Amino acid sequence: MKAKELFPDAQELRKGRVRIELDKEQITDALKKLKENGYTHFVMLSCVDWIKEGKFELVYHMWSYEYKEHVMLSVKINRDGEDVVSNRELFPQIETYEREIHEMFGVNFVGNPRLGEFILEGWPHMPPMRKDFDTEKFVKDLYYKIPEVNEE
Amino acid sequence: MMKEYELFIGPNHPGVTGNMSYHLWAEGDKITRAETRVGYLHRGFEKLMEKRIWMQNVPLVCRICVPEPDVNEAAYSMAVEDLMGWEIPERAKYIRTIILEMARLSAHLLAVGGVAAALGIYTAAQWGIGDRDYLLDIFEQITGARVYHIYIWPGGVRWDLPKNAKELILKVLDYLEKRMPLYDDLIMHNKVFLRRSVGVGIVPKDKAIEWGVTGPNLRAAGYQLDFRRLEPYAAYDKIDFEVPYYPKLGDYEVLSDGSDIYTRTAIRMLEMQQSIRIIRQALKDMPEGDVLVKENKANKWFGWKVPAGYAYSRVESSKGEFGYFVVSDGGKKPVRVHVRGPSYTHGINVMETIARGMNIADFSPTAISLDVCPPDIER
Repeated sequence: MKAKELFPDAQELRKGRVRIELDKEQITDALKKLKENGYTHFVMLSCVDWIKEGKFELVYHMWSYEYKEHVMLSVKINRDGEDVVSNRELFPQIETYEREIHEMFGVNFVGNPRLGEFILEGWPHMPPMRKDFDTEKFVKDLYYKIPEVNEE
Repeated sequence: MMKEYELFIGPNHPGVTGNMSYHLWAEGDKITRAETRVGYLHRGFEKLMEKRIWMQNVPLVCRICVPEPDVNEAAYSMAVEDLMGWEIPERAKYIRTIILEMARLSAHLLAVGGVAAALGIYTAAQWGIGDRDYLLDIFEQITGARVYHIYIWPGGVRWDLPKNAKELILKVLDYLEKRMPLYDDLIMHNKVFLRRSVGVGIVPKDKAIEWGVTGPNLRAAGYQLDFRRLEPYAAYDKIDFEVPYYPKLGDYEVLSDGSDIYTRTAIRMLEMQQSIRIIRQALKDMPEGDVLVKENKANKWFGWKVPAGYAYSRVESSKGEFGYFVVSDGGKKPVRVHVRGPSYTHGINVMETIARGMNIADFSPTAISLDVCPPDIER
């Protein structure tokens, strides 16, 4: 069954691109439903920071080789540390995307045991892909300071 | 019971294509566990893109995949065109096809040479790099740059092909076609290569799609799936070409159940022949006309606003599906650009899973035969 039949309020962005807005609790079931209905290729998991709304948007991209259709399942969660259930059991590559989003945005995925260091190493600062992380200021603070000469 | 020990492959190792590392646990010469370690190459492109205007991102995106930069330019441009609602001129579509296929040829030459080198046939790697240079020469003539071309951009291509482009390209294609049988003799019919590659590094067919395998690696597993056919972009819908897949290996013998190093290399060799065929057709059928939409003028770039929305565009690269997810809020800069690199799945989940039980000596050739490219894992 195509995504439009499975989710009646799916929005067609253009030919072959469908976007579905869901609640956080529905996401695992929706992924399962799509996987069983021909959307067998999990493309990627993206995170968008909508800082003005105070939300993170998680976008699960799926593709069906059968219908030649790309589905974006979109879930909005609160920016201030709301947990999300890990879906690594459904597609193994979700685990890696969750690790990256945990590190770069600070979203916690419950049930993913590998949420440790991934790309960054020994990073004590704010997750750097968040919109309130100011790259320019960070670089200036860290690298533009000339250390004082210690005369003994 | 043998003692388990740890082994590091990379981050600077001839068996890994670039700055990444694999942390292996082994007993004797058998790998028991593998972990991918990345972080040596993270340049924060996705964050930088949020700070730059739409056109300024074109010179950034090509740096995401070093051996094949054009796929990034194409995918990013297609996503922006999708949001802008632009239909690019017919001639630009053909030029994009030519550029993308030349990029595929140059990336496959590196990949095939790399696999052979990982198995001890160093001559093949030298040949691959040498022959790739002839393609880079053409890129330089067309775009002004050898590696990062910044030629495909939103609305079409930067400028038209030079007058002598057709002649130059055809000359190199003729040369490459003559070289293909030599590569066959050196690699595909080489006893050492066959002993080391047949039945090694298997990605199980029943798991390939679930694991997110795409591109030549998926076709070597027995699926005739190619995004140039499934979702045609550029001028691929007007061009007649074949999609080689296991078990239809043309002149190459079918020696295994597919999905192994041998089959993946054979698929890449066959795809090179198809690329030559595609470029010849595109050069022949290419219409005259504009190469860039009228709306894309340099004096407007700083005021450019892209309508709010979500776009995802994908390109079939030499390594697999290259995708760009672009989000706009109607402003002068993107809200988010997220890149889906094929090595993200091939290099991490797939490698970690299939490494278990593998001989240490087979690990590097397997990684290279999956064409794992670290720059698209970290961006």
